[in-house]
Amino acid sequence: MPEAAVRVEYQEELERLEASALGGLELVSGSLERTLEAIEHQDVELAQLVIADDDRIDGRYLEVHQSLITLLATQSPVATDLRLISALLHVLKNIERMGDQCVNVCKMIPLTGNEPPADEEMVKLILTMGRQTRTLISQSKRAFENRDVEMARDLVRQDDVVDNLNRECFSLALAIGDDPDSREWAMTMLLGARAIERIGDNAVDIGEQVAFVVTGLFKEFEDASHPNA
Amino acid sequence: MQGAAGATRAEVEAVPSPLKTPATANGADAAPGPAQGGAKRIEAHDVDLFYGDFQAVAGVSVTIEPNKATALIGSSGCGKTTFLRALNRMHELTPGARVEGRITLDDQDIYAKGVDPVQVRRLVGMVFQAPNPFPTMSVYENVAAGLSLNGGRVKKAEKDEVVERSLRGAHLWNEVKDRLDKPGSGLSGGQQQRLCIARAIAVEPEVLLMDEPCSALDPVATLAIEDLIGELKNRYTIAIVTHNMQQAARASDVTAFFNLEETGKPGRLVEIGPTERIFTSPQEQATEDYVSGRFG
Repeated sequence: MPEAAVRVEYQEELERLEASALGGLELVSGSLERTLEAIEHQDVELAQLVIADDDRIDGRYLEVHQSLITLLATQSPVATDLRLISALLHVLKNIERMGDQCVNVCKMIPLTGNEPPADEEMVKLILTMGRQTRTLISQSKRAFENRDVEMARDLVRQDDVVDNLNRECFSLALAIGDDPDSREWAMTMLLGARAIERIGDNAVDIGEQVAFVVTGLFKEFEDASHPNA
Repeated sequence: MQGAAGATRAEVEAVPSPLKTPATANGADAAPGPAQGGAKRIEAHDVDLFYGDFQAVAGVSVTIEPNKATALIGSSGCGKTTFLRALNRMHELTPGARVEGRITLDDQDIYAKGVDPVQVRRLVGMVFQAPNPFPTMSVYENVAAGLSLNGGRVKKAEKDEVVERSLRGAHLWNEVKDRLDKPGSGLSGGQQQRLCIARAIAVEPEVLLMDEPCSALDPVATLAIEDLIGELKNRYTIAIVTHNMQQAARASDVTAFFNLEETGKPGRLVEIGPTERIFTSPQEQATEDYVSGRFG
């Protein structure tokens, strides 16, 4: 078989779209960083900025999604290319959802009031959760770029840390006391913690897509519906 | 084709075998009975194919399953058409061509001594790249041609029945039923190819080989042939050589990828598997590169 490379433009376009899709994870990571800052400082303006900035993540989703559909329609990709495009379509949706979760958190920040009865320990837990989740986001990106299934699988272990912190937040909220304002604040923050925890789950989903691209088999790393199966 | 057959006809033994010319060939044998799914399994065992000193295909061992469409894909010169032509003993019609190894049709060696190549070709029909209806014959005569060639007389009523059944089987009946006496060459390219398929199935083969049957057809006629393949495999074993990878993906159940390491070397079977797997997760890098169109 002649060893002349063909379909160079198609390959370059596919590489560009992968980089663009995974670049969405950096946007999400930036959004989450600002979301954490807004929580820490009760910064409503910064929260509004994160909400407005989500249009960039949505725009990235629409642009790359459309270009991938065009590649499917015009280039008839098969084998690894087909698996990659299928995975990227999933990953784009994961990224878009992660962005929406940041928006969900930021929408809650004005609800907690100007000088909320904040529980320092709970704020600290949520910030730790957020930082750990940012680690998951960057690890999912690296695992995808390097087609590293081991690194992708390790996301489950990292996500367990986030899940445990989320449970601690829940315990703290239960023990927050009888003051109605404090309870309202704790409930609101609990919803925020839950949103951050979901971002971690999306990072694990991206890891599952890495395994699909490499092996051709899709299997959930952990089956939430059948945890002991 | 007929000339080569004549040479080996003398070797025929009076052993009952579908591959051997019946000792008492008569009209009843030539007239096919009702359509039945008599598809047979083809197995190649370490087959080497040569044109004189040049080895075109090396070491191919493969099973072509009955009632499935198996696509043979690979770049030009990889030996896939040569291999296809060996499956009904057409390869040997090229001067200097020879076959080593073993090819069986339901465990019967088609190259065994005493096997009549004409009988092999009756059981293993071939449809070619360019539609090739007999130009001076009518649509009817084109379909019936194989019946007469396969020995003896066939009653007119039986012939009518076979022609209609074959044309229906090739999805052509409705388009030509009112002009059966018109020349076959007056049909469109797609219709001519379906006429050739009707001619091939008129003699009730068990295997249909197709050598790029759609390469001369427009997209609509191509899809009509692909639909037809989907139906024909219910009754026959089908092997199809195609350069069109989307066609292999659409129309076949199993895909075999042939490749040659470099020009001048023989073609080899690299990988065979369910079409869905070959086009989503091939196991060999060479297959991946070929189906992805990275190397042409």
